Amino acid sequence: MKTNFRLSSKMHLLIIISSAIIVIGLLVGTVCQCVANGFFNYGEDYASYKSVSVTYVNTDFSGLEDTEPVDKIKEFCEDEFSKQGVKSYGVTVGDTNTGGTVIYKFVSSTDSGKLELAAKNINGNLAEFVNDAAAANNNFATAMTAETLLGGGKTIAMAAIAISACIVFHFIYFVIRYKLTMAFGAILADVHNLALFLMLIALTRIPVGSSIATFAVATVVLTMIGTCFLFDRMRKNFKDEDLKKLTAFEIVDKTADESFVLNTVMPACLATVSVVAFILLSISSLSPLAIISPVLCSFISFISCAYGTVFFVPSVYSRFKLIGDSVKSKSRKKAIKTIQK
Amino acid sequence: MGKVKSAIITALVVAAVVILSLFAVISCPLNEVERYNSFLSSIHMGSDLTGEAYALFYPEGVISEADYNSVVTDLDNQNRQEYIDGYTGYLSVYVDKDKYGSDFADSVANDAAIISARFAEKGYSKYSVSVVDNYVIKVSVPTNFTYSAYKGYDNTSRSNELTKVGNTVKYLTLCGELDLRGGNDDAATTIIPLKYNGFATFFSGANYYAVGGNHYVRINLNDDGYRNLNNIITNLSDGSGYFFIGDTSIGLQLTYGENITNKTLTFQVGENYAKDYSIILDSVINGKVLANDYNDGGENTEIIAISPSFGDSAVVWLFVLLLLVLVGAIVISILKYKKLGLINALIAIAFSAIMITAIMLIGIQLTVAGAFVLVLGLALLMFSNFRIFEAVRKETLTGRTIQASVKTGYKKSLTTVLDLHIVVLVVTALLALVCTGELAACGFILFLATVASYVLHWFTRFMWFVVSSPVKDKFKFCGYKREVLDDED
Repeated sequence: MKTNFRLSSKMHLLIIISSAIIVIGLLVGTVCQCVANGFFNYGEDYASYKSVSVTYVNTDFSGLEDTEPVDKIKEFCEDEFSKQGVKSYGVTVGDTNTGGTVIYKFVSSTDSGKLELAAKNINGNLAEFVNDAAAANNNFATAMTAETLLGGGKTIAMAAIAISACIVFHFIYFVIRYKLTMAFGAILADVHNLALFLMLIALTRIPVGSSIATFAVATVVLTMIGTCFLFDRMRKNFKDEDLKKLTAFEIVDKTADESFVLNTVMPACLATVSVVAFILLSISSLSPLAIISPVLCSFISFISCAYGTVFFVPSVYSRFKLIGDSVKSKSRKKAIKTIQK
Repeated sequence: MGKVKSAIITALVVAAVVILSLFAVISCPLNEVERYNSFLSSIHMGSDLTGEAYALFYPEGVISEADYNSVVTDLDNQNRQEYIDGYTGYLSVYVDKDKYGSDFADSVANDAAIISARFAEKGYSKYSVSVVDNYVIKVSVPTNFTYSAYKGYDNTSRSNELTKVGNTVKYLTLCGELDLRGGNDDAATTIIPLKYNGFATFFSGANYYAVGGNHYVRINLNDDGYRNLNNIITNLSDGSGYFFIGDTSIGLQLTYGENITNKTLTFQVGENYAKDYSIILDSVINGKVLANDYNDGGENTEIIAISPSFGDSAVVWLFVLLLLVLVGAIVISILKYKKLGLINALIAIAFSAIMITAIMLIGIQLTVAGAFVLVLGLALLMFSNFRIFEAVRKETLTGRTIQASVKTGYKKSLTTVLDLHIVVLVVTALLALVCTGELAACGFILFLATVASYVLHWFTRFMWFVVSSPVKDKFKFCGYKREVLDDED
């Protein structure tokens, strides 16, 4: 695929786009930090929630012929929730020593009164069904309010340390293997793409779970892969005798066009895998809402990588190259003057 | 290379890959009792795929609504009036009237924060600690089930994992100070003759390490502790002193006559307990002591395994996804590079089988994010190979033979592929070493995938040489055409 974006002449536009996204994301995040539920919209992993859990004993439901006890319990619960006009965002079932448990989770803004009333009515239905006062105490619905602690603090701190170490390593490796200007380009790519990813997450208010750290790291790793392709091609083109007659901007533009396919195909493939994952897991999950968050996070991660590596970094790198060449020529002139003296 | 030699090597490699893949993927019943569980179904999964286990912790003086009702609705129960008079209802719990109030609720919230910090040290891929209705603590951790355990094909593994969760939950919610006692059962209250107030002040911290399959807890002594501990050991009345947290022995023992020669105490502990012991010891030594006793010292804690949030069959669909990705990679490579694409397909299958085997053997917990990392690893291999194939194609267009083009193509792309793999390798090693939980697991998986990708990248060249040696029209074999060079990469 041949492209002709002339990215080096569009640096200002790309900087404005990136800065706008980052600044708006930062503002939205900061406002939400003060007035809402935090800089990011903390999802199921970190969010407080309300729940109605029903514990039951299998033997008390032995009269059922074609239905499992859990299905009967769900029938009671869902009838009652629809009567009360409340909607759960997730349901899980579990086994206890004598039977099982069914837990319906609701967002923390759900009316506690309605949930308590639903639990009370479910208890009434259960008591009527088992028809035994003693057994009724073992088949019991309870409405609860859970305040979840932000337990991922250590994970995020360690991820931040690891990402910083990775970026430093990336810079040092590029200084050794490539050129100083390319190393600056690489570090810019890492920081820009990561910032873009985080601010887009803050801006779009996608519920984030513990996997946000994984996707932040994925953004950095994909950026590193992209910069390896980009700067390797850049280095080869700058060394190419046939391209000596071109200006630095033209070579950068040519390289950006040449590596366009390479640097968009991998994020595009991974984005496709995310979409397929969403479709497949939606079949399995009772609540597609539980899956949409990681899928959207991965999507934003791949978009940030593709935009940053393909468009933003080459355009800014063209100036780095210019500055690098100018510094080099100045120091060369200085050296010649020193020799002449 | 001759036809026979080429055929033998190809047959051996294909047979090895097929056999490994079959062992990796196919589970089957061996007889009416026994069952062979494939490597894939023996991989430990995260809570998003095989669910989580949770436990509720009621502090002393708090009971559940169900427990309260079971006593109060039983008119013959002797404790009925005591319950009615002694407890007051708050949401879904009943609280001892003497304790009821914001101070008690605050102490439970503080305990939850301490418990959360302890569980953070455990390195779970995902966990949560919540305060339920102000007075109860709920802890959820991954069950770490394999697919076969989750589906009930391997009940031993299932009960082992639940036992591990039970032990962890028990030890990390222990209440009380660190103490040294003269007996190893809970009833033994004999404090050693030389009783020092605050045994925990002898130590500066505790950590866990493993060497050669053995697991150790190392407790670091401070200067005072180092000076005084030998005195304590000399005075152990019945030969041994046992470490207790509150009223629970944690199975570490000091023996009479033992000589402490440096500022650390090292205990060899069973694999299932070592990390839990080090976490609880470190927490207590650093003053993070729970204010309340929960579930009678953890004895009445019920661990409940619940279904994953992604649904019961999430593992199956995730496997279907990985299979689709693999099939996609195979189809694209065959369509584009004909018989060379077949070699690439064989390498992709080998990569998948190797990764499944490695993850199963090392015991890494696989989550949805981990599966994405596997896809990234496969993409790394495929892109490295496709880049080489394109480089070779370019070389053939300059009029070189396939052999010469392969040599030059590999030479020209060596630095790119090497740089790519070195950067990813170092980054993933950093992630695996620095991070915890899911990130560390993903880092380790990508580290393995990068190593496998680089080795298989060169193995592709070997197989290319072996398979194409007897072929006369090597251009057709590779799906290349003699055409005019264009600038497209």
